[in-house]
Amino acid sequence: MNKLAAICLLCTSALLAQGARQIVAEAENRSRSKSQQYQGTLEVIGASNKISLKRWEYRRIGSYGTSKSILRFTAPAEVKGVALLIVNHTDRASDQWMWTPSIERDRRIATQDRSTRFFGTDFSFEDLEERDVDQFDYKLAGDDRVDGAACWKIESKPKESKSSQYTSSLVWVRKDNFVVAQVEDYTKDKLIRGIHYSDIQNVDGIWTPRTVEVFDANRKSRTVLKLEKLEYNVPMKDEDFTIEALRH
Amino acid sequence: MIEKQGVGRWARALLPALICVSGAAQNFTQRGFIESDLDLYPESAPNDSSHAVDQCLFRYEASYRALSWLRFSAGLDARFDTHEEVERVAHLDWQDRTLLRPSLSLREFNATITRGKLTAEFGKQFIRWGKADILNPTDRFAPKDFLTVTDPDFLAVLATRVIYDTGSDSFDFVWQPRFTPSRTPLVNERWTVLPPPEEGLALVNLGSEFPGRSSFGARWNHVGSGYEFSASFYDGFNSLPVFQGGVNTRGTVIDYVTTYPALRLYGADAAVPLRWFTIKTEAAYYTSPDRQQDDYVIYVLQFERQIKEVAIVAGYAGDAITARTPTMQFSPELGFARAILAHAQYTIDSRRSVAADLAVRQNGRGSWLRAEYSQTFGQHWRATAGYSWIRGEDSDFLGQFHRNSFALLALRYSF
Repeated sequence: MNKLAAICLLCTSALLAQGARQIVAEAENRSRSKSQQYQGTLEVIGASNKISLKRWEYRRIGSYGTSKSILRFTAPAEVKGVALLIVNHTDRASDQWMWTPSIERDRRIATQDRSTRFFGTDFSFEDLEERDVDQFDYKLAGDDRVDGAACWKIESKPKESKSSQYTSSLVWVRKDNFVVAQVEDYTKDKLIRGIHYSDIQNVDGIWTPRTVEVFDANRKSRTVLKLEKLEYNVPMKDEDFTIEALRH
Repeated sequence: MIEKQGVGRWARALLPALICVSGAAQNFTQRGFIESDLDLYPESAPNDSSHAVDQCLFRYEASYRALSWLRFSAGLDARFDTHEEVERVAHLDWQDRTLLRPSLSLREFNATITRGKLTAEFGKQFIRWGKADILNPTDRFAPKDFLTVTDPDFLAVLATRVIYDTGSDSFDFVWQPRFTPSRTPLVNERWTVLPPPEEGLALVNLGSEFPGRSSFGARWNHVGSGYEFSASFYDGFNSLPVFQGGVNTRGTVIDYVTTYPALRLYGADAAVPLRWFTIKTEAAYYTSPDRQQDDYVIYVLQFERQIKEVAIVAGYAGDAITARTPTMQFSPELGFARAILAHAQYTIDSRRSVAADLAVRQNGRGSWLRAEYSQTFGQHWRATAGYSWIRGEDSDFLGQFHRNSFALLALRYSF
């Protein structure tokens, strides 16, 4: 009887895991595009409620694991023109180069510690990387609601081959459009970062959150990113995502 | 002189046109700042008794993409100072060959053509090679303004640059028809330190002999899976001068001319990101075809690591002289070699940061430490306060500046 119960439990766990993975895979498929560009406005709100504003232009070619993106700051004035090239890989951490116009130089940046905050925002470098569905194990943790919408609550853990600052994450995926509505990232059961996605709109056939709010649980600060002039599948060339292209 | 006036007129005519196209907002970008930079020296130097030096710099940079494959860029510097390091004559300088900093100068002025994997850049431009951060021995098209030795500023060069970039490989060819020297410390100011026998003598610069022929360089860079490296070659001239001259017959004046040795360089650099840190290394072998300077190797090995909000770069720069030529040369590259070099920065929050730079010569005869605190106010203002501390002996390149420790206060408005 015990054996039967154990087998049933194993089968149920496997089915739940498979179901959770399928949900995440479907969410990934639905948001897949050949390219993406937007103008981002960021409000960084510190623990003392001091607000600093940043703006960047973002362009990406390819998606999930093999994408390349360039992020170029347009404000504040003193970092205008600073640009970052991110080349994602399926088997290892991304390569990143930064162009600093004031010294007219590109340089490879060390990102061994990808928990580092990105340019004073509450995003870490790891948060800017795209999560590939195959780099995590999943478990369905139940149903929940975010902003009134029914969601699947899924626990994800990075596989051994995936280096991550987080030991686990809770991901809420909306049942109506498979959009990720919320993420909580943990390190050994301690909440590190919370990400809330809202203002979800259909842009070029892809349901996309236009507002992303990141909360840093340690610093008690948050960053609100608003995506403006968002477009998908815009014609882009591979040669516009090289170290040379970063300079221009 | 004719050439100078001709290009000056051309530049003056085109710059307003470049600025006036701001209506095409998508294709036009501009940025700049105005900065006041106050250096306070607690100690006097034998040839410089001043304790406070202030410089104001206005920098404007604009870029206009006329066509999808054609872009123009220009930059303009306007300066004024209290210490006569800046010329008092108002003319637009484009050559960067003067002893003093020009009061008005064309920082850069170039056109970039991009066709697929090919990029060609023509005009006055900045060219930076090398992967290391603490010292770049392969950077041969990057003369500097060394009026303050520990805080140099790069100068652009007049050149044609063609780059073929496949993504994983890039081939870079540079032809520099007109030589741009590095600006050396002024002889009547504290960053020129004379040995005691010459201390009381007047120095008379009889002029500079600039090279007549062009310089050429080529570089191949490869980005592989988890590493990148490059190999480079340069055939041209050292932007750092050799001083030739001697004490005159009356024994009261040292007459000298500055010349720029022919230089051939073979260089290589690499960057390898590892699990715990990134290794960057760079080495160059310098030979002097006309035997006007030493033949030597300069190499750098640095380790880089980001831990939370702290970025640390530390390494060693070494040199090995393979053939000696007795000359008197101003060479900060060799001066910062045989030393441990480091840079660290801590980002406190989105507005505040602290940074430190360190150089310690391995013989212990010279050291330099700079610590800075920087804070932004609103969207445009940044204030920086710091101290640059130099210690050592007169016989050492760094140590000779031991009277030049200074406090720095800077205020910048960026737009």
